Amino acid sequence: MTTQRRDSLALSVLLSAPAVFLLTLSVVPVLLLLQLSVAHHAEGGLWSPGFELSQYAQLLNPEFLKVAAFSFGLAIVTALITVTIAFPAAYFITRMRRRTQVAWLVGLLSTLSLSEVLVVFAFQVLLSGGGGLVKALVTLGVMAQPQSLYPNVAAVLVCLVYLVLPYIILFLYPALSRLDDDLPAAAATMGASPPRIFVSVTAPLVRGSLFSAFLLVIIFTVGSYLTPLVLGRPQHWTIGILINNAAMGTGNLPLAAAQAVALVLIMAVLFGLARGLGRARDASE
Amino acid sequence: MFGLEIRNVSKAYGPLLAVDDVSLSIPQGQFVCFLGPSGCGKTTLLRIIAGLEPAGAGAIVLNGKDITTQGANARQFGMVFQSLALFPHLSVCDNVAFSLRLRGVDQKTRRARVDELLSLVRLPGMASRSISQLSGGQRQRVAIARALAQEPPVFLLDEPFSALDAKLREEMQAELRELQKRLKITTILVTHDQREAMSMADDIAVMGEGRIQQYGVPLSLYREPANRFVANFLGLSNLLPVEILCRDRVRLGEAVIAVAPMAEPHARGVATLSIRPEDVLLTLDAPDATSLPGLILAVRDMGSSVEVRLDCHGHQVLCVLQPRDWAGAAAGSTVKVGFPAQQCRVLAA
Repeated sequence: MTTQRRDSLALSVLLSAPAVFLLTLSVVPVLLLLQLSVAHHAEGGLWSPGFELSQYAQLLNPEFLKVAAFSFGLAIVTALITVTIAFPAAYFITRMRRRTQVAWLVGLLSTLSLSEVLVVFAFQVLLSGGGGLVKALVTLGVMAQPQSLYPNVAAVLVCLVYLVLPYIILFLYPALSRLDDDLPAAAATMGASPPRIFVSVTAPLVRGSLFSAFLLVIIFTVGSYLTPLVLGRPQHWTIGILINNAAMGTGNLPLAAAQAVALVLIMAVLFGLARGLGRARDASE
Repeated sequence: MFGLEIRNVSKAYGPLLAVDDVSLSIPQGQFVCFLGPSGCGKTTLLRIIAGLEPAGAGAIVLNGKDITTQGANARQFGMVFQSLALFPHLSVCDNVAFSLRLRGVDQKTRRARVDELLSLVRLPGMASRSISQLSGGQRQRVAIARALAQEPPVFLLDEPFSALDAKLREEMQAELRELQKRLKITTILVTHDQREAMSMADDIAVMGEGRIQQYGVPLSLYREPANRFVANFLGLSNLLPVEILCRDRVRLGEAVIAVAPMAEPHARGVATLSIRPEDVLLTLDAPDATSLPGLILAVRDMGSSVEVRLDCHGHQVLCVLQPRDWAGAAAGSTVKVGFPAQQCRVLAA
């Protein structure tokens, strides 16, 4: 046996463990989900194997489409706000002294140790009529009467942004710290003003990272469940809540599965489009 | 006056004084090198001149106009960075045309100017290449073309050739010097390489500890270093502790050595004798009263020159000879070492 063949055999053996892992934990569940989504629904949360598309037909009802559109709208707005805040934050952190940078990064990482449940209920307390924020606003005279700041879509957005912001800052940090300080300096010696430097030099260099960060927020938030459930009104519910209602509320597991498949498919299409756009842009340069 | 003036410029970073009260007048069209070891403040001074760093104190004056408060984008001095700082997302053409685009020059004129600049730096037909497709020397040339595109009043270069191999570096040095002479543009080049400074500059400012240690024509700096720092940094020097006897005599160990008459009256006492290795005379005769016995410690024959390391009264002396002047004594033998008076400089200890 040649060395090369032995090496490739060793590589195959090494790779087989993660391959089996991926197969059992992601491919098999997706296949089961697909099977469930076309099964026959029976009363009492039961189902029997079979093939029918009535669940998928139900997805076309305007109520579901409205919720799906709202979920994506919410995710896109969250992504816009988050990236807008995270980009300058990450940029300024990379320009700080080393020790200050580490303090910021440790602080950001430690906020990730709070579970989503904890954060959402903390926001519920904070924004409630008797909560600290409302009391402070009344004391300052900004608010006349104590009045709960939730449920509404703003509360949902604020909490979602809070949840994903540390991830996005940490995601952008390496790209921004690799940014060569000489590049904006060179642009300045050629007569570029600071805003012009940002538009012509800094932004194009980190465009790829900003785009990835944007997609990342959408992935994180499009399937959000707890935040809109606790801090929003029923009209702010997302696909995640509908899936839960179908599965747990009405016991229609095949419908829940079909809704989940639809969510995955829409995401896949979006990613395909994003990649296509990225390729076209690279090719044009 | 026409040209660039640096008036009493200082810059501190916390307790560290990076640039310490530097004053310099550079006439229009002059090529000046800031030469010094790393951390001597030369790059900081260059960045202050470019407007990238505010001066802590002092003034920068261009053609009689105080520009100290202007930012880099108002001064528009062309600058070549050590990292070159070429924009990786732009083509060669767009890099070179960057400043022209900012000025709203139309595309046709821009294109013509880019072609002109690229042929000036000997890169014709490279406009559509991307930066990643270029070799080190080609990137160098693009950076120079880009900095010259705006026809800057002052051209600044920060160790531009440090990443190139020795042969390419010498070619680029010659090319840059040629280009500078043709364009008659006031140029400041920062370097730690004394050969680079000696071969390119009209004037050299030797910098150490944030100050200009000596400023002048390369050869006069080499021949008449003002202090130990310059003698040691600009080429190699033998620096020997001596005792001053009178205006043109010093004592080294037991030998009395004649030196070039000192300009200002020196106090009697301890001083440093500086002599270049190539000025040390070495013969196989027996030493006399005006010369020293030297014990040969090591000989390195480099082909084009011979380096002999000697011990004279406990002091190490380096002597560099032409091969034809070398008698071929072996390590361990004793020779006669002479210091020609005109080449001996007495510096403060």
